[in-house]
Amino acid sequence: MKYSVPIGPQHPALKEPISLRMTLDGEVIQDADIRLGYNHRGVEKVAEGKTYLQNIYLTERICGICSHSHSTCFVQGVEKLLEVEPPRRGVFIRYLVSELERVHSHLLWLGVAAHEAGFDSLFMYVWRDRELIMDLLEMISGNRVHYAINTLGGVRRDLDEGQVKKILDSLALLRKQSEYYLNIGAHEPSFVGRLAGVGLLTKEQAVDLCAVGPTARASDVPIDVRKDDPYGMYGETPFEVCTADTCDVLGRTVVRIKEVLVSYDIIEHLMRNLPAGPVAIRTPRRPKPGEAVARYEAPRGENIHYIKSNGTDKPERLKVRAPTLGNYAATVEMLKSGFLADIPLIFAAIDPCICCAERTATLVDARTGEEKTVNFSTLRALARERWKNAPLKKDAVWPF
Amino acid sequence: MAILKTFLYLLIYPGFLFLLVYSTFCEWFDRKVFARLQNRMGPTHTGRFGLLQPVADIIKLLAKEDIVPERADRKMFSVLPVIGLAIASTAMLLLPVWHFSLERPSPNSFPGDIIVLLYILSLPTLIFFLAAWSSTSFFSEIGGARVLTLLFGYEVPLFLAVLGPAIMAGSWRLAEIAHFFQQRPLLLLANLLGFLIAVICLQAKLERTPFDIPHAETEIVGGTFTEYSGKKLALFRLMIDVEMVAGAGLLAAVFLGGFPGGVFVGFVHFVIKTLFVIFLLSILRAVTSRIRIDQVVNFSWRYLAPLAVLQLFIILLLKGFVL
Amino acid sequence: MNDADVFERIRSLLGEKALELTHPAPRRIFLKVDPKDLTAAMAVLRKELGFTFVSTISGVDLGESFEILYHMANEVTNLNVRTQVPRSHPHVDSICSVIPGAILYEREIQEMFGLVVDNIPDGRRLLLSDDWPEGQYPMRKDWVHQRPEEKIPGGKS
Repeated sequence: MKYSVPIGPQHPALKEPISLRMTLDGEVIQDADIRLGYNHRGVEKVAEGKTYLQNIYLTERICGICSHSHSTCFVQGVEKLLEVEPPRRGVFIRYLVSELERVHSHLLWLGVAAHEAGFDSLFMYVWRDRELIMDLLEMISGNRVHYAINTLGGVRRDLDEGQVKKILDSLALLRKQSEYYLNIGAHEPSFVGRLAGVGLLTKEQAVDLCAVGPTARASDVPIDVRKDDPYGMYGETPFEVCTADTCDVLGRTVVRIKEVLVSYDIIEHLMRNLPAGPVAIRTPRRPKPGEAVARYEAPRGENIHYIKSNGTDKPERLKVRAPTLGNYAATVEMLKSGFLADIPLIFAAIDPCICCAERTATLVDARTGEEKTVNFSTLRALARERWKNAPLKKDAVWPF
Repeated sequence: MAILKTFLYLLIYPGFLFLLVYSTFCEWFDRKVFARLQNRMGPTHTGRFGLLQPVADIIKLLAKEDIVPERADRKMFSVLPVIGLAIASTAMLLLPVWHFSLERPSPNSFPGDIIVLLYILSLPTLIFFLAAWSSTSFFSEIGGARVLTLLFGYEVPLFLAVLGPAIMAGSWRLAEIAHFFQQRPLLLLANLLGFLIAVICLQAKLERTPFDIPHAETEIVGGTFTEYSGKKLALFRLMIDVEMVAGAGLLAAVFLGGFPGGVFVGFVHFVIKTLFVIFLLSILRAVTSRIRIDQVVNFSWRYLAPLAVLQLFIILLLKGFVL
Repeated sequence: MNDADVFERIRSLLGEKALELTHPAPRRIFLKVDPKDLTAAMAVLRKELGFTFVSTISGVDLGESFEILYHMANEVTNLNVRTQVPRSHPHVDSICSVIPGAILYEREIQEMFGLVVDNIPDGRRLLLSDDWPEGQYPMRKDWVHQRPEEKIPGGKS
């Protein structure tokens, strides 16, 4: 029996409006169709009518989870246009917030993924830990969501000794708890069994479809802007790019968990080596005409801002590409020939931030648009063949 | 006097009144245990320790607008929750709580009542399927199909597991099985494997994590109950609670030695033993994640059913050589 | 290989086709090509230098013409390939045959600037909402958003 099942725009599995239209044969997905546009706000157009300083706060509001990533990316680009270099203490604090945000975003994702898989206990535990990070962010910036700590030429708030100590203390606690919970999650067979082999995206597909962030890294494509195009102090910070070769949702989970642990190390490094000095410098208001490309590794992948200035205090053009948009083409591919029960997992596994992706665009199965009808046995045969060729461990175990 | 006793049995204990109060209590207990295992507080505000929260939930649902979808089969859609609750409550009457004599069969305790009880406990699944089918929504229909697929998974292992003690006791009557094990409590240990299988199958029958596939909210919204709201949903929730008590009661009667000692001591036995089973169900719910429908069928036929057969062999061997 | 090497390789590989080639900042290379050479240049860049990854495609309204920037990356540097098409004849070739993942951005730019991407594998006009009027391209500079007049039901007309 064939169904066409709408998932969204309003659906319990989706925290933001998006419409996935699935053609199902029984429980097997035959065709996937993504339709966006429910959250379109025209941020790029608005940005052309605002000054650079105002735009920091506008870009911060592109996303509700990785708000710091957009404003940092924008500030990086504008600082290049203004030809100023923020002081080192300011840089350290800026990327401290970055890494804290990455940890909180990944923990949030892990909770959501556990919930999508019906594992509410892990969800509750992880989110309780995430509160510690939120408290740190509130302590540093005064806000839990939109930190508003970036400004042109540095950051707006300084850290004192007590705060540094508190961050390190919380970090020690978090590290202990995360490892404990992650062990529990990793040894729960129903959870691992549920994630393994779901939403396959081979390395070639990931490269062809320009997947970004943990989605690409889980397919063994080692792209990480922090390593490839080091900004801020990442060039001098020791850390490793986390990849997995399972190419499925389990791999994406593992990559994110490893990244959380790597972020703890980076935060500790930043706090131990925090230089003295001012946190911001004064900057001119009008950059010379020119253009800049800023890249930033957001929790979900590469975030890129293209800024073109025309000599006034307003940008001529601001182009924002959020990581989620880069992953949609890959998602459509992942969804095909999966199970209905896997839709929320696969979709959640790219950590979709729909409001990020939708500041300008709407799309429908953009890749080919073909609507093939295959009978069930052919589909099974195809799936089996793909299963055979996929670089995938069938008796999946937690990779560390 | 006998008539009064029958009325008491039907209406007060373990009949309607006790059943409603106790099933809401069991829901509270389940929620509280589940919440504490997740580091949450669970219900706290309504009544002492939040004891009245399930009641409050049901009252809230009763007060809501009652919606019947235009395309749904109106009669079926409306009547199914009532039938479902009636069926689940009937199952309760067959448990050997009191008001039966071991020598003389009565309408609520007779040879073969274990089969009848299992049969009655299978009916809610059918009710869920019909409810899903008559609401004519995509999500409900997928949920309904999953309900039936799930049934194929857990039903056979459950039957095999529950019939083991019956074979050991050499009786098809719940009261006699319970009495048999009361005389020889050590033999209960021989059924440990069967008990665990039955707990897992009961979890599947009640459609709770990891088997909450028919109404997996992140996939198919409300699944079976997508179109149900208000009073009808309240009745369904009550029905699931009652089913949980009846199922726990069945397991307690068969595997945990029943409820000896007349009305009052038997009552204590009943509460402690059913709560123990529900406690196990809650733990199972807290430590697992939802699995896929194909994984359920795989799991139950690859592991549960063979293990249940193994349990039967153990019982047959015991019966042949030891007893 | 670092970004300077990449810069030299691009110069030698593309030769005449590279109309402008600058290296204004570390790991930032800007290249300008003619629209008709675009796909060929992309194919060379992908094959020889591993520019498999298109971050995004930006459009800029320059008045008389549109500038289209393909922000690409490999593991050592970022490369921005720009091309200009006249406003009167805004046609550009699709690069999806070379880099399939670019399709989303091409569709986006089609809707936002009214560019026509030739040979696009899937050019359904669904980037904006279904009732979006024809011929309105919101990211063009001459397009101004007009807020529809607010009507309060039951209020003063």
